[in-house]
Amino acid sequence: MKTNLRIRLLYLLVTVAIGISANGQTTQNTIGQPNGPERRNAAQFTVSGYIKDASNGEGLIGVSVYVKETGTGTVTNNYGFYAVTAPAGNYTLIISYVGFQKETRSVSLTDRNLRLDVELQEEGKQLQEVVVSTKAEDDNVKNIEMSVNQIDVKTLKRIPALLGEVDVVRSIQLLPGVSTVGEGATGFNVRGGSIDQNLVLLDEAPVYNSSHLFGFFSVFNPDAVKDVKLIKGGIPSNYGGRVSSILDVRLKEGNAKKPELNGGIGLIFSRLSYERPVFKGKGSFIVAARRSYADILAQPFLNSDLRGSKFYFYDLTAKGNYRINDKNTVFLSGYLGRDVFGADFGFNWGNATVSARWNHVFSDRLFLNTTAYYSNYDYSLNSDLKGKNPNDFFRTDSRIVDYSLKPDFSLFLGKNTITFGGQSIVHDFQPGTATAASAGAVRSFGLSSKYALENALYVGNEQQVTPKLQLQYGLRYSLFSYIGPGEAYFFQTDVPTGQRRTVLTTVDYRGRETIKTYGNWEPRFSAKYELPRNSSLKLSYNRLAQYIHLISNTTASTPLDVWTPSTNNIRPQIADQIAGGYFKNFGKSGNEFEASVEVYYKWLQNQIDYIDGANLILNKYLEGDLLSGRGRAYGAEFFLKRTTGVVNGWVSYTLAKTERQVDGINNGDWYATRFDKRHTLTSVLMFDPPSAKRWNFAATFTLASGTPGTFPTNRFEFQDITAPIFSGRNNYRIPAYHRLDLAATLQGRKRTGKKKDDNWVFSVYNVYGRKNPFSVYFQPNKDNPRVTEAIKYSVFATVIPSVTYNFKF
Amino acid sequence: MKKYKLIYHLPVFLLAIYTLSGCETVIDAKLDTGPSQLSVDAILTDQAGQQTIRLTQTAAYFNSNTPPAALSATVTVSDDAGKTYAFTDSDNDGYYTWKPTGNDTLGHIGRTYQLNITYQNETYRATSKMNRVPSVDSITFVKTKLNPFSTTEGYRAEFYARDLPGAVDYYRIRYFRNNELQNRARDITVAQDGAFQGSADTDGLMFIRPIRRSINPDSLYALNDVVKVEVHSLTLEAFTFWQELQTQVTNGGLFATPPTNVPTNIINTKSGGRNGVGFFMTSAVRSRTAQVIPTNLRPDL
Repeated sequence: MKTNLRIRLLYLLVTVAIGISANGQTTQNTIGQPNGPERRNAAQFTVSGYIKDASNGEGLIGVSVYVKETGTGTVTNNYGFYAVTAPAGNYTLIISYVGFQKETRSVSLTDRNLRLDVELQEEGKQLQEVVVSTKAEDDNVKNIEMSVNQIDVKTLKRIPALLGEVDVVRSIQLLPGVSTVGEGATGFNVRGGSIDQNLVLLDEAPVYNSSHLFGFFSVFNPDAVKDVKLIKGGIPSNYGGRVSSILDVRLKEGNAKKPELNGGIGLIFSRLSYERPVFKGKGSFIVAARRSYADILAQPFLNSDLRGSKFYFYDLTAKGNYRINDKNTVFLSGYLGRDVFGADFGFNWGNATVSARWNHVFSDRLFLNTTAYYSNYDYSLNSDLKGKNPNDFFRTDSRIVDYSLKPDFSLFLGKNTITFGGQSIVHDFQPGTATAASAGAVRSFGLSSKYALENALYVGNEQQVTPKLQLQYGLRYSLFSYIGPGEAYFFQTDVPTGQRRTVLTTVDYRGRETIKTYGNWEPRFSAKYELPRNSSLKLSYNRLAQYIHLISNTTASTPLDVWTPSTNNIRPQIADQIAGGYFKNFGKSGNEFEASVEVYYKWLQNQIDYIDGANLILNKYLEGDLLSGRGRAYGAEFFLKRTTGVVNGWVSYTLAKTERQVDGINNGDWYATRFDKRHTLTSVLMFDPPSAKRWNFAATFTLASGTPGTFPTNRFEFQDITAPIFSGRNNYRIPAYHRLDLAATLQGRKRTGKKKDDNWVFSVYNVYGRKNPFSVYFQPNKDNPRVTEAIKYSVFATVIPSVTYNFKF
Repeated sequence: MKKYKLIYHLPVFLLAIYTLSGCETVIDAKLDTGPSQLSVDAILTDQAGQQTIRLTQTAAYFNSNTPPAALSATVTVSDDAGKTYAFTDSDNDGYYTWKPTGNDTLGHIGRTYQLNITYQNETYRATSKMNRVPSVDSITFVKTKLNPFSTTEGYRAEFYARDLPGAVDYYRIRYFRNNELQNRARDITVAQDGAFQGSADTDGLMFIRPIRRSINPDSLYALNDVVKVEVHSLTLEAFTFWQELQTQVTNGGLFATPPTNVPTNIINTKSGGRNGVGFFMTSAVRSRTAQVIPTNLRPDL
């Protein structure tokens, strides 16, 4: 019965896809146009096309296209495509995008639809250094999106970076509503969500572990990144699968006008990227690589025991595109990265993703993007890397692999833009296999793979109801099946809460047999109402379901943490969020300052937690060690940004609370999560002194409440070892966190006639060398174990200066 | 978890070389103190002679005095063969002892023991089975550097014991250097079938090498040192207790787990009554002693 439902959904999805490609016009009728009058008016015409950056041919995302005469408009989609519809007549299109010169085009829509591709010229140097990219100048107020932050790469590159390495994940931690368990920890927490609740997309393929070096750096090479968008709320129906946020990272397409070589030499990484047009300008590609080189520098200094030690990380990012004709463009992107550590004992982990996309313009109103992707995360561990001990070793590895197909249609109907489509994902989890040898005897041991199918269908509409009122609403239905081949475990139910449940029965399932199915309706809704004086009110509600979970019980997630599907014992996570906000632009030309206040409340169900002493490694009966609870998070986010001027940048303040309640933990009472911070203030300021033409400066400051910690009350001795006694979870706060970082960029001298462009970036992280606490923990003194101590642990406890040289040919 | 901690430290240490960072500072912390509880430190063995159970009261976390003794308790141990043994605190220091009359031994492999304590009008009970244990076959030494970064050399000990096949067995390893018990938190070593929990199915194999080499102090051994190794059998519950005890007294850094109470099997018989802390465990013990002398040396491979 449930299998049938799944098949029917897939069938429906396929029919929709085929139906549309067979005849766009019919489908338009099938889907229906909510606006009756428009349909009756036979003389409606559409102008559509791509908006690109004139310097390199990159499609521009989110460009405002405004029809002066009708007062309506649209923005380009993720591929730079737009379409506007109007009755027959002559019109003026105004195309604007921050950092680019405004373009005005006259179009005559009298007897047919028009194709209009426009290239925008970048503005002069001064404005190139604009802060957060917000598309059109008044986008903050006019766009229906809320709880969305976008950082462009130019800004990213100016923010003072740890060890001079520009980093996407560390930078988004400067945005309101984003926190972390501590400096140097993997991932990020959005509005009270745990790190596995963020869907991290690299050209639409999910990245399962976004960190290098245990979280100090992230996998995104800034030289290859075009656009970074974080969606914290009001998540549209085309996104799903995680409950807290979407981090949508889009790669550059590669310069379609001329070859370009970029590179940089920093303290940790060196970078090199090459991009150029191919096929006579019909395509382009970019290849970007990074590698850490500390190991190469250290090699001559290592003694014989350590020679051959490996400690490095690298990544390779590539993307190519080919424009077959006006209606078809294909893209291929890939990422391959790995961290490798080891002398005798070796450990490595990494991601690989490939995504292939096909953009197809069916008619002037119907746009299709189909993405097929593959994503892999794996790690392996080997106690005998050099093969010196064939009789005594331990090896283990684990992986998760996804295959997915995702058609996404956009139908531009004047006042309505309908998006619909679906997604199918095959998940293949390999929780772990191990081989151990002791004194020559070899044993293998493995947890069997787990398989799951995740399908979704969605439809959404963005509707301009009145000139002031805009709605975005949609519905997503997700269906998840935990399938065979595999074993399903059934556990005892009558144990006291918080204790291990032992397995009662094990049932074997054959291939493709359904073990457990979950389905969820996920409504999404956003509204924007424009108020006088360049301001607006926005509201949103969304429900999201998440079917795969990261099993992690450490403060910072480790690369050894394993993903698991929802099973007959693990229920999918569900989140409901409501958010409201007031947005206003003011100052010179009306848009000098962007301000917003947002409030949110989020309810989370089926949050995973762990019994005391849970055994998470290679444990067949892991599910018996898991607990399930609920969460709630609420807060207010204040954001003020100056977009232009000698001093520009932003200040944000977040007031937030995030809690969990799990039967079996903290006596079943609500407790603060490990990443709960009451107050967070961040500011990012850029200073471009007109007098110093070659210099510009940036500073960031962060001040945050201490995160919670579990402190002991009493102690007891056992065999002369002193052990702590705790009365509750996260019942204390560690000291507050504050840090100032500075950066200065010196542009190289421009030589006339030379294409070379270079700069030096000098940065200082943690300027006043504060020993910011990551955690406070309690231990017996190492020399005198009867004396117990509180120990503050700091990850970066000193001033960290760095210098990076960047060049471009 | 021990092996994983080791590998996390390596790269973090390497990064620290570049950044001169990552640091621990002892700070002042004001803590609340909870009500005092009965604390039981009881390991009974199959060895001949006196057996001891220590009863104390829990104290404030930063109170570094000897914990206050729990006095005037009634302590008995009974086994499933119908025998009861009385433990008495003749010198009023919280150490309750049972002394054999003649040649009898308290602990026997395969028997289940029940501890009964009556203290301050509360009755506590705990049970534990005495499981089987393998013998220690040999101890050898290798002359080697203290660690790859060091030029100082010492003698690294390795003991050989083979897991008993046919069932999951839990053990604890203890070692003595020149008759002195090495008892820091990091010296706690427990094994499941002679390996770490969650590594592989090692039933019946030789103890794996990290366990075999777990009997070394940081400085390694010097020539003529005498090394004694003991293998104690544990129940699953006692194994978990030791594992958690070690986790809680070494829990720090980037990859700490949420601090939680070490489990106990000291149950208050009154429903809703406050349980004790600590553990009652029964272990069969096998040991071997060896000296760092040329006949025990092996070449460093």
